[in-house]
Amino acid sequence: MRDHIIFYSLLKKYFIELKRYFLNTLMSMGGIFLLFMMVFFGLASFEAGTETLKGTIVGFAMWTFAVMAYSEMSWSLLEEARDGTLEQLYLTPVSFRRISAYRVLSSFLFQFVLFMIFLTAMMVVTGEYLTLGPGVIVLVGLSLISVYGIGYIMGGLSLVFKKVQAGNQILQFMFILFLVLPTITEHPIIYATPISWGNVLINRMLVGGYTLLDFSLMDISILLLNSLAYLAVGVAAFTYLEKIAKERGLLGHY
Amino acid sequence: MSFSVDEGEVVGFLGPNGAGKTTTIKCICGLVQPTSGRIKIFGIDAVDETRKAMRYTSAVLEGNRNIYWRLTTKENLEFFAGLQGRSKNEIVSEIDSLLDQFDLRDKENTPARKLSRGMQQKLALACALIRGTDFLILDEPTLGLDVKTSKELRRYLLKLAEDQGKTILLSSHDMNVVEEVCERVIIINNGRVLADDLVENLKSVFDVHLYDFFIEGKHRFEKIRGSHQVTDIRYVNGKTRLRVALKERDSFYRLVDDLKNEGAKLDRVKNLDTHMEEIFMNIIEERGR
Repeated sequence: MRDHIIFYSLLKKYFIELKRYFLNTLMSMGGIFLLFMMVFFGLASFEAGTETLKGTIVGFAMWTFAVMAYSEMSWSLLEEARDGTLEQLYLTPVSFRRISAYRVLSSFLFQFVLFMIFLTAMMVVTGEYLTLGPGVIVLVGLSLISVYGIGYIMGGLSLVFKKVQAGNQILQFMFILFLVLPTITEHPIIYATPISWGNVLINRMLVGGYTLLDFSLMDISILLLNSLAYLAVGVAAFTYLEKIAKERGLLGHY
Repeated sequence: MSFSVDEGEVVGFLGPNGAGKTTTIKCICGLVQPTSGRIKIFGIDAVDETRKAMRYTSAVLEGNRNIYWRLTTKENLEFFAGLQGRSKNEIVSEIDSLLDQFDLRDKENTPARKLSRGMQQKLALACALIRGTDFLILDEPTLGLDVKTSKELRRYLLKLAEDQGKTILLSSHDMNVVEEVCERVIIINNGRVLADDLVENLKSVFDVHLYDFFIEGKHRFEKIRGSHQVTDIRYVNGKTRLRVALKERDSFYRLVDDLKNEGAKLDRVKNLDTHMEEIFMNIIEERGR
């Protein structure tokens, strides 16, 4: 009963802030888009095949989405601590982990719309069209759970150590590695790294024209297990680091 | 450290810098894990059942850093109510009433970052109130406010305690706030309670008399400053004003004698009202050793 009101409040706040800083959001998206164009047309000039180019579109869109998703967990937590509002989020009848989950869900709804617009813009500009079906939201959602798990770890670290921006930047590059890993190797490690296997399945769907029903139960199970494992580790790490922050009186001290 | 606050009571929580006030408050709010001991809010263990305890607790911590600067006044109020699980229908009239009471009606659509510090502080308090909890913790609610706004806020706190029966734990260095708003004060230092009593009782036990001695000419009174509790000495309009806190009548006459022995020409003596500040200093000095 109470939870849906809390979720709605967080969702509303997220959208109000986005609306108020829409130009900023637009400009940062524009910057990312320009970067994509450089990468894409750079590859095209080397006469890369259609499949590679399409894979680049999907990979780049996924990377943008992943970075946005985990930033929501770690950067925004740092921002709250700096602004002094973090304590207020702890003064609620539900746990901060749950508050974070609602915030993630709020941002996911917006970011997914942005992801689709981004993808469409990429297709129009590059002339390489992908097969967009409703199943994509399921795969993107499942893949991003692992990213949120990492976000929880980074969020927990930022509660204790405060300055973890360098780690966040390294992670942005790590995500590129995780996304391209399946194109470099077929080693089973791609089942264990975050977002890699999800990117393989999303590529099959968007580039190869697969639907959800075309995937085997094993394919989906691996993705689900991978994501849930990262989420579980992330939540456990966050809980542990939050406990340390409370013991040392570090919550909100920035 | 052990103390309790009864339902509907307004208690001042005092102590010098570094006494442990903010840490204690953060422990009560579940933001700091106490190394030992128990904290109960309306009978609920705030350490083991923090979430349950937070249903009844809201707090304004460290001044104006409790609100979202990008949201407007009204959006902040709606957000904090929602965070406590209160639906919009439940709070419509309450928001209206808070906007009026805090003189924020004209600023309801203004982003919090554009409000003055005083208004931000008032909004932070309004945001804590819109949560609708029975227990309110206020850490330095008047810090950095001008005299007028501080007075307004004090008036509102008083009204809040009287009309709505809220249980309030108030920490402040502003003794005017404490004296005006609180019925009881708890004074702590180095993690232990030095005094826990009604303001009136503390006044009678630790009462000191403040006097201003005006002496012709400019003096330093080194010797007198060493033997009497001189709180201030300054040169005003050709006279030296010596402010002293005296506990007994004898010490008054002793000071007059000492001044005479120093060759000082006494112009006049003014008896000042005793304030909570002097009582607080007295307790810290006497019991804090």
